[in-house]
Amino acid sequence: MNGVRTGGRGGPSGVRTGTGRCGVGPVGPGPFAARGAGLGFTRCLVGLRAGVAVEARKAMASRVMASTTLLLVVGVGVLALGMLLAAASGDEQVLAKLGPLAGAPGWTGLVGVVLQITAAAGVLAFGVALSWMLGREFADGTVAALFGLPVSRPAIALGKLVVYLAWSVVVAVALTGVIAIVGFAMGFGATDAAGVRALARIPVLVVLSALIAVPAGWVATIGRGLLPGIAATVGIIVVAQVSAIADVGVWVPLVAPALWAIAPDAVPAAALLIVPTVPLAFGALCALAWSRLQLDR
Amino acid sequence: MSAALRFEASSLARNFRGGAGVHGIDLDVAAGEIHALVGLNGAGKTTIMRLLLGMLRPDAGAVRVCGVEVGRADAATWSRVGQLVEHPLAYAELTGRANLEVAARLHGLDRAQGGAAVDRAIEEFDLGRYAGVRASRLSLGNRQRVGIAGALLHEPEAIVLDEPTNGLDPAGVIVLRESLLRRAAAGAGILVSSHHLDEVARVADRITVVNDGRVIGSLDPGGFDLERAFFALVHGDDETRRAAA
Repeated sequence: MNGVRTGGRGGPSGVRTGTGRCGVGPVGPGPFAARGAGLGFTRCLVGLRAGVAVEARKAMASRVMASTTLLLVVGVGVLALGMLLAAASGDEQVLAKLGPLAGAPGWTGLVGVVLQITAAAGVLAFGVALSWMLGREFADGTVAALFGLPVSRPAIALGKLVVYLAWSVVVAVALTGVIAIVGFAMGFGATDAAGVRALARIPVLVVLSALIAVPAGWVATIGRGLLPGIAATVGIIVVAQVSAIADVGVWVPLVAPALWAIAPDAVPAAALLIVPTVPLAFGALCALAWSRLQLDR
Repeated sequence: MSAALRFEASSLARNFRGGAGVHGIDLDVAAGEIHALVGLNGAGKTTIMRLLLGMLRPDAGAVRVCGVEVGRADAATWSRVGQLVEHPLAYAELTGRANLEVAARLHGLDRAQGGAAVDRAIEEFDLGRYAGVRASRLSLGNRQRVGIAGALLHEPEAIVLDEPTNGLDPAGVIVLRESLLRRAAAGAGILVSSHHLDEVARVADRITVVNDGRVIGSLDPGGFDLERAFFALVHGDDETRRAAA
């Protein structure tokens, strides 16, 4: 290599000694560098902002995300309502399934049923959605177009996770709203006004369910497709549900949300506070996997 | 000093299980040049392109992109690159325009720059009719047009296109040809692979022949009967390897 002519035709130009995409180094001309303030870390953040913007746009246009939201929110609402009505009519199978919740009145009973369903259905919905968000790039072949860009692949992967977590908050609010409507429709506003505070548990469990489904995204990346991520999701649900039913694993982040859904008093707040270690660890693994990605399969 | 090199590969090797891969590739693409790679299916063209773009890490040898070693290329370097290898960046749920806006953002353009670049790309690649149509409803050829437009809308100086005429109708082939010639005239270095020797001859300054993972020679773009010359090179190489085996 004898040298590089800079300038070109008005496009991004300038050459600098490379330091890796997220390293610290001098910043030359170019759209990212101009906004980058000279530090590699800042460059990464600029890339992350673009990654989030792109992924948000894709998510908002996606029928997968919209239909998953609708299925989860409406499905859990209808299922909870159905189980409560069946319990009220004395259906023994439903009463057995509900256990101690069968006799719980008002908001406590409604929210308890919703949490039991959401602890499994929520993880399934979130795991499938995240597997799609990451695995689709391999299934659709678009992953090749994510190389050779000023926005790094880790920034794109983390952008997906940021959008995913924001989406989980939207789902949490929507589900809480639907269940509130169901409760008020069943007259709990008058008969159990004080119990309405129980609704606050719903968004907490929804977001916790999203957090513990994050490993599915890493598996979808490593496995280069949707199905490995969905398989990981099923694995997370089995571990969480079986452990919760056996009443073990209160300090295991994957299990604590399901246990808290069944028996909130049995799970200390600190056990829930360590749940974010799951997305932090697997988010970092995801970024690393995307950073080191090769199209060799 | 020779012309600035947009891509430079030296002694490049990457082996796959079963013996496939590329071996000892020396290749460069200068500014203002269209360099074509031709070869049979499985010859190693796409592998070479993947190595040039960091999609694969080499077992041996080195790659430089715009003068920077590919493993150390930063955002400013990659913002000078445009590529389409295999699948176009065309998300099914996004319209043609939205896909281009996403491409602009990923290539480092801000909202204002991106909007203008997308407008130019829609006009250049005659995508006006499809700007509001979801990519899932576009034909293969029009998705390819969207992908090419997205790869080139930021006016990259270093361009890699793998079989860009895939799925394109004759009008699309002409649009692409004019686009590449214009960019090369403006200083871009372009590496393009194709099976269409007549099309390659129309645009390429140099034609390199790849066979069994190695560069085996070159063709004169202005030469007579490129097809015959191509097969003579390939069959000659095959026979040489058979004799040596």
